[in-house]
Amino acid sequence: MDHIQLLNDKIDINLIHQLLIDQSCGACSVFLGTTRDNFEGKNVISLEYEAYENMALKEMGKICTDLRVRWPSLKHIVIYHRLGIVPVSEVSVVIAASAPHRVAALESVNFAIDQLKSRVPIWKKEVYEKDLIGEWKANVECPWPHKLVQIRVDDSELNRRVKCFLKRKRDEINLYNIHDFKQLSTNTELADSSESEVKYSCARTQSSLVKQQQSKSHLKVRREIDNSGPHVRPNYSSQLNKLTTAQHYKNDSFENSMLRNSRLRNIEEYMCVTSDGDNILNRIKNIENKILLLESISPEYKYFIQFGTDLKRNNHRKTKKEIYMSDRLNEFISNLKREFGR
Amino acid sequence: MERDTSFVNINVLFFAKSRELAKTSRAEFTVKSVLIARNLLNQLIDRFNLNTISNNLILAHNENYIENLDTEINLQKGDEIAVIPPISGG
Repeated sequence: MDHIQLLNDKIDINLIHQLLIDQSCGACSVFLGTTRDNFEGKNVISLEYEAYENMALKEMGKICTDLRVRWPSLKHIVIYHRLGIVPVSEVSVVIAASAPHRVAALESVNFAIDQLKSRVPIWKKEVYEKDLIGEWKANVECPWPHKLVQIRVDDSELNRRVKCFLKRKRDEINLYNIHDFKQLSTNTELADSSESEVKYSCARTQSSLVKQQQSKSHLKVRREIDNSGPHVRPNYSSQLNKLTTAQHYKNDSFENSMLRNSRLRNIEEYMCVTSDGDNILNRIKNIENKILLLESISPEYKYFIQFGTDLKRNNHRKTKKEIYMSDRLNEFISNLKREFGR
Repeated sequence: MERDTSFVNINVLFFAKSRELAKTSRAEFTVKSVLIARNLLNQLIDRFNLNTISNNLILAHNENYIENLDTEINLQKGDEIAVIPPISGG
């Protein structure tokens, strides 16, 4: 339960303790803020607290909600703040929490007092011995006004702080990396498994792990999800394609690769062959097929496109089988006709 | 779209130093129903003599902090605006 209150009377610590007791709790952490008799060397005669009561209670409620989200094991939370004049060394604020184990209790109380100092609308006025008008204080934790902060520490402390910050950021980045890398499977098979199974996953192998019974630390590997490695068959054709096309031209500029493609495209256009996407081998095959087709439908084609040197070489072999051109045949037939006609 | 330029009557609460300067803990104030928060703050500073602490104030609208003073706020009749100097609870 959350116990939140603003009160004008002296705070009774025993009463607070009564609010926190619970059979399931092994730890109870209590913070008492008490008024000091001095500030920067000046003697404080009295302290006075003022609050925007409705909003203060609302903000204190939000802090409780926040605590329960961050430390779900918390049982009871108490936030009491005294208002009005609080004599020196008396309790002005109580923040307490009870939980089964001490870590939650201690950490939540620590967090809560920082939160209270930074967002709950309560003001303190200190009246000093030598300055009876008094001064309204401002907490360091208060985020407004937005001022630049001067850090007055020596070099070694500054270096230590920077190192701590870097380490924290590094750890944070690592955590995010692991989180992104892990892919918790959303298999429906897992839904059938027993309730005691814990969905852990190892970042390196993407396997799902199960808590081994009767052991607090041992985990069994239930399933591995491995997308790379020797047992996975690679896509050979795409790999080959990459090798034949990209390898030699890796160092070439973009222009060169464009040029190579454009030559192929020119050939394709001339042969009336449609370009078959990126796969160079396929495109060459298509062009070869077209040439074969053309050769099959007009046999002279083969002889027309042969170069001069080839013809000379083939001449000795081809003398036995003579191929006649259609106009020569026409000439021959007309000659025969003339002969027989005579 | 027709912009609603009507005026509304709101309640303004003052605390701590702002209360001492304004010499009241509560006042009524008439203002446009739609305006930038910073504009409202400046009006309150001028009207209630808060110049000496003008840089340290933030506002709360119906018990919620106005996080960004450059945003537009919609006020209705009877809304509660609180002038909030730097806090010192705890």
